[in-house]
Amino acid sequence: MAEPGADLKEYRDRARAWLAGHLDPRQPGDPAGADPAHWTEERDHRERSIQRILFEGGYAGIDWPRQYGGQGLTIAHQRAFDEVASDFRVAEFGILGRTTWGICVPTMLAHASPAFLTRHVPRVLAGEELWVQFFSEPEAGSDLAGVRTRATRDGDRWILHGSKVWSSGAYYADYGLCLARTNWDVPKHRGLTWFAVKVDKPGLAVQPLRQINGRSEFCQEFFDDVELTDDDIIGEVNQGWTVARTMLSMERQVGARTKMRPVTAARRPAADLVALARRAGRADDPRVQDLIARAHIIDVVQAELGTRVQELAAAGARDPASLACYPKLAAGTSTPARALMGIEIGGGAGLTWPSGEDPPAGVNDYLGARGQSIAGGTNEMMRNVIGERILGLPREPSYDTDQPFSEVVRRAAKWGRTESPKPN
Amino acid sequence: MRCAILDLPLSEDLDILRAATARFAQSEWPIEKLRAVADGGPVIESGYLQRAGELGWFAALAPEEHGGGSISGTGLLDAVVVAVERGRSLQPGPFVPMNVVAAALAREGSPKQQADLLLDLTAGTALATWAAAGPSSGWETGEAIRWARTPDGYALTGTAVLVQDADRADYFLITAGSGTGISQFLVPARTPGLAVRPVSSIDLSRSFCDVQLTDVVVPEVTLVGAPGKASAAVEHQLQVACVLTVAETIGTMEQDFQLALQYAKDRIAFGRPIGSFQAVKHLLADTSLLLEASRTVCDAAARAASDGGAGLELAAVAKAYVGDSALQLGQNCFQVFAGIGFTWEHDQHLYLRRLTMDAALYGDPAWHRRRLARYYELPEAK
Repeated sequence: MAEPGADLKEYRDRARAWLAGHLDPRQPGDPAGADPAHWTEERDHRERSIQRILFEGGYAGIDWPRQYGGQGLTIAHQRAFDEVASDFRVAEFGILGRTTWGICVPTMLAHASPAFLTRHVPRVLAGEELWVQFFSEPEAGSDLAGVRTRATRDGDRWILHGSKVWSSGAYYADYGLCLARTNWDVPKHRGLTWFAVKVDKPGLAVQPLRQINGRSEFCQEFFDDVELTDDDIIGEVNQGWTVARTMLSMERQVGARTKMRPVTAARRPAADLVALARRAGRADDPRVQDLIARAHIIDVVQAELGTRVQELAAAGARDPASLACYPKLAAGTSTPARALMGIEIGGGAGLTWPSGEDPPAGVNDYLGARGQSIAGGTNEMMRNVIGERILGLPREPSYDTDQPFSEVVRRAAKWGRTESPKPN
Repeated sequence: MRCAILDLPLSEDLDILRAATARFAQSEWPIEKLRAVADGGPVIESGYLQRAGELGWFAALAPEEHGGGSISGTGLLDAVVVAVERGRSLQPGPFVPMNVVAAALAREGSPKQQADLLLDLTAGTALATWAAAGPSSGWETGEAIRWARTPDGYALTGTAVLVQDADRADYFLITAGSGTGISQFLVPARTPGLAVRPVSSIDLSRSFCDVQLTDVVVPEVTLVGAPGKASAAVEHQLQVACVLTVAETIGTMEQDFQLALQYAKDRIAFGRPIGSFQAVKHLLADTSLLLEASRTVCDAAARAASDGGAGLELAAVAKAYVGDSALQLGQNCFQVFAGIGFTWEHDQHLYLRRLTMDAALYGDPAWHRRRLARYYELPEAK
């Protein structure tokens, strides 16, 4: 084989030529990033057709295994392609692109059976399957291993019952990757199993969730005795926590990657707040200029931290999932603070807008930015991971890891009344 | 003890420099020696600077023909490695101003100035320091000292503050302003009219002086660069000073944080190590983030230093961010130590004092944030 650099250059050139022959050049205003708002049937059809073209041309799943429809090349080839492809109108699946390609399939590849992968991965590559995470529940967020959605064995079927929430973009997904409790008589981490759930199954209802900023990016699902089979299982029955750890690690890394603001020579620092200050007529106010500088500093620090963790992960650092807690905690603490700066710069008048129009970006950011301090693990969870796994401080006392989960739930309901549980 | 969570690995050569600096600091100036002089007294012992010079502390930003040279090929990266170790062990002496003067002479100095001073400066046998800021002025405007032409050369008048080790200095690089612009002068210590007044400071690990110039007359040959045209040179010197001070700060932050972290594991209350309480654990996690974010921003500023405008911008960002973060870290560590940290005998105040001075030297966070305004194309603040 030729030296890797030459191989990559040739690959990049070939990809560019192919893209130029098969896809349109990217235009300003083409969809980009993870914004799932305004997903329409027409958009759905368009993105899936583009993905089909990429798949048939041999440019889908570039670093995924050949036996499941990928190209079996390296991550460097995938990155080279992504670079070239950024000039073209490739498929943009919004938030589900991120969960499907960045989280769900990599997790499957690590844990699912060959038969499962043969059924699903080629369909993902061809644009026929988009995956959502059925992860958090109304009663289980930070304590993910405490999920209560149950899958009960019934002959050769499984019956799924319960509810999931905060599933981004579920309303246009084909499948959900669902964590369910399959054994209540063992400690919480040992009775969990992952299932693939087709979103249009009888008994499954998807409802959009309206957020504090009025938008609907997330959904809640209700499973009313949805039927599943053994074929739908990812990993081993009751070994779901192993799979969950892989998935959490993928999620934190994807999260840290996408929260970066680009730092390049040509950028305009804190451009949003500079524009806001001008609109508010307060551009010469020293306090406003100080807030802009603080935001500028936040942006630089956030970008540098994200880049650093990526560099370390690429260099094979131990426990990159824990290291990713640094940029995540930085984003979780500074994003709401930065959004508040926008509110301060805009002043009282910035809190109003003409009736019938959408709220200004600063207001949306202010309400929406706090999601960053809880999504993918609250700031407090990040602090626990940093404190325990990185700094080596003693772990939190546990009240639930050594007892059957059914017993944990029963006793927890009596906390402070008839029982005073002791940690394990 | 190092806690290098988000540190990128050093090249082999730079790691040798780092280890040699750490050994030097431990044998020349362990914290016990600082303690012994902390109530007053000489801060640098004779021979310290010369032995530091043998390690290459003052060489990285100077050209090879005058005794300089860089291990990594980018001088500032070498100096940053030294600075972090210096900060970790609260080393004394004018490391930052000596490197600033070396960098200034390497870029702007006349051949005679370079030949006369750089060899001794890089060897640590001559002490040169940087006089730039006044009691109420910034570090780049030259407002503290005024220059004017005279028949014999130039007259300098004014007072510079926070001039490190001025009482032992052989040379001063002086920034002076006038209506026609900023000029810099390399002035020997025993010049008539130049008075040095040592001052006490919150920082027990380094010594500072006020330098007063009263109609000091200096000849043409003391000019560094063209008269009235030193503004860009001063900006560059300030950038070097900021990056190296930030790097010293990182070392001091690391050491203070390590001590607090260990204390949280060792100190027992309510039958548990205090670090097992979430209130303390989360405080330490936040503090660790301050340190790791400071480290990455420091590295970014050092790596971008040769990159013109981006380097200047990142140096200001780093100085502002790390200054604020360091003081927050000092307070957080104090909160972990609690009572013991409020005693003179405990080392925490030595770190806190140094961090506080670092945050103020070469511009405090608010001052650097004001300087960043130039990047937003906004009207002058009113």
